[in-house]
Amino acid sequence: MKPFSYVVPKDLAEAAAAAAQPDTVLKGAGVDLVDRMKERLQTPAQVVNLLPLRRELAGVARTADGAVHIGALTTLTELEQHAELQDPALQALRQSAGMTATPHVRNRATVAGNILQFTRCWYVRSEAFHCLHGGRGPTCLAVTGENRYHAVLGWLDCVRVHPSNLAPPLLALGAEYTTTLAGKERRRALAELFPAEPRAQNPEHTLLPGEIVTALHVPKQPAGARSAYCESREKQTFDWATTACAVRVVLQGGKIAAADLVLGAVGPNPLPRPKAAAALVGEAPSAALFQKAAELAFAGANPLAHNDYKLTVGKAIVRQALDEATR
Amino acid sequence: MNARTPQEDVKIRVGYKALPGQKGDRLEERTVKPAAGDAPPWDAMTQFALVGSDVDRVDGLAKASGRAKYSYDVTFPGMLQAMILRSPVPRGKLTALELDEAARMPGVQAVVALKEVGNKVRFVGDAIAAVAGVNLHAVRDAIERIRAEYDREEHNVDYLVADDAPMVDEKGAISEDWPADEGMTAALLEAKVTHDATYRVEVQTHSSLETHGGVARWTGNDLEVWLSTQATFGCRGELARALQGKKIDVGSVTIHSEFVGGGFGSKFGAGIEGLALCLLAHAAKAPVKLMLDRFEEHTTTGNRPGALMQARGGVDAEGRIVAWDWRSFGHAGFSASGGSVAVPNYYTADAKVRRNHKDLAIDADPPRPMRAPGHPQGWFGAELFLDELAAKAGVDPLTFRLNNDREQIRQDQWRFAAERFGWAAARARANEPGARLLRGVGLSSARWGNLGNPGRPAHGITCRIHQDGTVETRSGAQEPGVGTKTMLSVITAEELGVDLKLVKATVGHTGDPSGPASGGSTVTPSLAPAARHAAFLAKQQLCELVAKHLGVPAANVTCAGGLVGLGKEQLRWAEACKLIGPNPIDVRGQRFANYDSKPFHGSQCGVQMAEVEIDSWTGFVRVTRMFGIQDCGLVIARKLAESQVLGAMIQGVSYALHEQRIMDKRSGRMLNGDFLRYKITGVRDLPELECHMHSIANGHDSVGAAGLGEPPSVASAAAIANAVFHALRAPVRHLPITPDKVLKALAQKG
Ligand SMILES: Cc1cc2nc3c(=O)[nH]c(=O)nc-3n(C[C@H](O)[C@H](O)[C@H](O)COP(=O)(O)OP(=O)(O)OC[C@H]3O[C@@H](n4cnc5c(N)ncnc54)[C@H](O)[C@@H]3O)c2cc1C
Ligand code: SF4
Repeated sequence: MKPFSYVVPKDLAEAAAAAAQPDTVLKGAGVDLVDRMKERLQTPAQVVNLLPLRRELAGVARTADGAVHIGALTTLTELEQHAELQDPALQALRQSAGMTATPHVRNRATVAGNILQFTRCWYVRSEAFHCLHGGRGPTCLAVTGENRYHAVLGWLDCVRVHPSNLAPPLLALGAEYTTTLAGKERRRALAELFPAEPRAQNPEHTLLPGEIVTALHVPKQPAGARSAYCESREKQTFDWATTACAVRVVLQGGKIAAADLVLGAVGPNPLPRPKAAAALVGEAPSAALFQKAAELAFAGANPLAHNDYKLTVGKAIVRQALDEATR
Repeated sequence: MNARTPQEDVKIRVGYKALPGQKGDRLEERTVKPAAGDAPPWDAMTQFALVGSDVDRVDGLAKASGRAKYSYDVTFPGMLQAMILRSPVPRGKLTALELDEAARMPGVQAVVALKEVGNKVRFVGDAIAAVAGVNLHAVRDAIERIRAEYDREEHNVDYLVADDAPMVDEKGAISEDWPADEGMTAALLEAKVTHDATYRVEVQTHSSLETHGGVARWTGNDLEVWLSTQATFGCRGELARALQGKKIDVGSVTIHSEFVGGGFGSKFGAGIEGLALCLLAHAAKAPVKLMLDRFEEHTTTGNRPGALMQARGGVDAEGRIVAWDWRSFGHAGFSASGGSVAVPNYYTADAKVRRNHKDLAIDADPPRPMRAPGHPQGWFGAELFLDELAAKAGVDPLTFRLNNDREQIRQDQWRFAAERFGWAAARARANEPGARLLRGVGLSSARWGNLGNPGRPAHGITCRIHQDGTVETRSGAQEPGVGTKTMLSVITAEELGVDLKLVKATVGHTGDPSGPASGGSTVTPSLAPAARHAAFLAKQQLCELVAKHLGVPAANVTCAGGLVGLGKEQLRWAEACKLIGPNPIDVRGQRFANYDSKPFHGSQCGVQMAEVEIDSWTGFVRVTRMFGIQDCGLVIARKLAESQVLGAMIQGVSYALHEQRIMDKRSGRMLNGDFLRYKITGVRDLPELECHMHSIANGHDSVGAAGLGEPPSVASAAAIANAVFHALRAPVRHLPITPDKVLKALAQKG
């Protein structure tokens, strides 16, 4: 690690002021960040530890309008076990938190940190390689190299995948996020946190320097809403997903009245698949319907040399998620 | 027990009593001639007080509580930290190396070159220079300031396109003709059913939790090194020679290695990191610690090599193997050696047999031995081939093994395992048509063969009995976590007839008597008889003291069950030991040669069975249960023996399903050189595991122990691969069996 100054803020205002200084990074639990700093992949001059703000920024609560407020520093374990989330509509969130990493990672890792974690691409995560990401090199090394864990969908010039477990269910549930920057609070749809064009030179998120995520909000779900999250992996613990799918459906009179479907771990962003979701609306759940939705979810896929298995696996995961959500 | 030395012939019973649920003991009589002064032999009839029981690992608590100090934990005041600069170039020549700037960096105390300008660079990770300084951050800063330049040459890290590699078709099968052999052609022509297939395994790294390295401290010309090693004595010699080669005047070299966090075959040498450590400590005139990081551990300390293997063979109308043709290509590193593959030979005793192997060089870190070198690879290929052949011939895999396996011990083991595992029912169970989850069961044999390092009388054990009644048993050999200290304690306590708690075993200091490297399952069979001999000698001395005290003839005094004496005149152990005085009884036992007579069996046999459940939608394989029966000669500490077997099965699951080194071909660099992307089986991936220890009296020395490092690691991956074949009704011929390969196999089956 390179020497850096370490800020332990007393309140959000102090954190925000420190975060606004140049060459500064924010730290949640540091599970991802500290790893990168140890390997000198990131060498900031200043680190602002957000954990002292847990009193303000952690915790889950139902608000007056029936929405769920999730503090940015809530841990994955808290999310998995919280009483306010025991609703079948929010099952996907609990499932995705509970499947992440290992118990000791989940006991530390924060919701914001999970969504904002850096990609796992093994080229950009090694100081030995200089790829197109962030302009460190001339080309994407994965697209012509070893890419079994890389993208099959929605990629442009960088085939990294978005590794977060929490992003797909939050998107499927229509979540919003609040940030603070220069004393101003903003609340936006979660989709806006991810770049519209996930190119190599664009960061994986749209936060401005110094901008702090303070909370996530899951809107009140309509009657009959249910959700599920499924993922494929090569190992059952201590591993990231190879494909993931979060779905939310609203069941009315045995039919699907509304649906959202988001894929994870298959593209540079978590990927909402509106056409696949639309195909479900107005239909009664069935294996054939799920198969059709799965095909649509992966329509336009463009797999690489070593990852076409992700199409078969990913479709199975979509079917399984739909099955679990409608059971 | 009579404390007199038997020097005449002794009749013993060798073999084993019927396995539970089976009939008929397999016992034979042997006449053996123990060496003068050795303890009388234990045999199949010996009633033990402690041997074979469920004792706890003697250092289990120390390890679990963190009190055990590994080399990684050793610190001294003023100790420096160190790192190695590694080549980023897979092949070429070092053309410039400038260390001055690094040496001037703040906190840096020593910089040494490990290569000279003009030397070849052989792989990404080849050691170039090393730096010691006050902390790792300062050292890393200095490493970044070393200017090393290379003349880069074209490289290749893919053995399948190496110069001598065979041609392979798009499905991965070797497409080159078999070398001509008329006998083989004839044997295959005569066979009723034949089969020909190609198998492949990927590189697995040892992944010891404690990385390579240690701490070195000089006192004048005398060097002490706390080293994470599997071979204290080998490393002592290696370091002394290497330092002399660097013109350093070495008085003595002492290695300390009390606790080692795993080695699995990768830690026989001190290596370049060991030498760098001593050079830095010498130059800095301060103790230096150098432990490799996880990436270095994955990429510079050896591996279990990958292999491409092809088998063809045939059976006659009775289902007997009549032809067995085998060729394999080993995934060696730049050394072009160490990639060889072993296959079972007990199925093909009457067959026309041919075996060929070739190692293919690539520009990468070379293999090192790893738990049964060559065996898990070859058994995977061979046993899966046998199942495919059996399926073609319409024979159940178990029946096929029973028809062809020529070893009696394993015949009993096959039947025993089948009974315990519920083979027939599990094998007959069909998967429902269209079912998402597919189940299957598979089996494999195992063999590993040796009965220790006989004829090395230099191998010894010190046994001391102190006046407070405590007993020491000491070996200068190391213990990489396998249970050596427990084994020495049990043998010593058994021979002396005392409570295990009184015995303290110490290993790993080269000031103590020498022992073998922890490799090839040789330590237990080599040191158990020496430990017994030492305790036997110490007991004689104690009996003499007691005899004198009681005024009875020493020859008839016994020492057993915590009592020493003759007839009704018995002293409690503690009372007897008070006769010893301030200087302990201090003797050295030796490892005599094995008896001249033929042992009951000269190797170790085992059988494993596995059940898998496969998600046919996602290709995900879960091993749901495994059973193993394993012989290791005399079982000394049952729980530890079982732990060796279960641990090997876990490693086997990992080898079968998860582990593989993934190389970036362009840079020659490993991409998954950490524990996040290099996948090792985790707790949730583990099956229900069960094993049965098959104790066999081989009658080859006074104890009759065989080792247990390698034997149980031969069969696991093969059994799992066969279970996958059964579940899918299509083989996956390439380890690890990852979801993509399962889906491909299902798709090809249609
Ligand atoms: C063995 C292992 C397995 C894993 N498996 C999975 C898995 O299956 N699925 C999965 O999703 N993840 C997995 N992870 C990753 C892990 O979940 C993340 O690293 C963790 O959630 C990051 O959270 P953190 O609080 O530690 O974030 P940090 O490491 O502290 O921060 C991560 C990033 O977010 C930024 N950040 C953090 N908080 C804020 C904020 N409030 N506002 C603005 N920016 C912020 C930081 O600046 C940094 O860039 C695994 C990790 C390990 C070690
Ligand atoms: S996928 Fe993106 S991060 Fe990975 S090598 Fe390509 S450009 Fe770099």
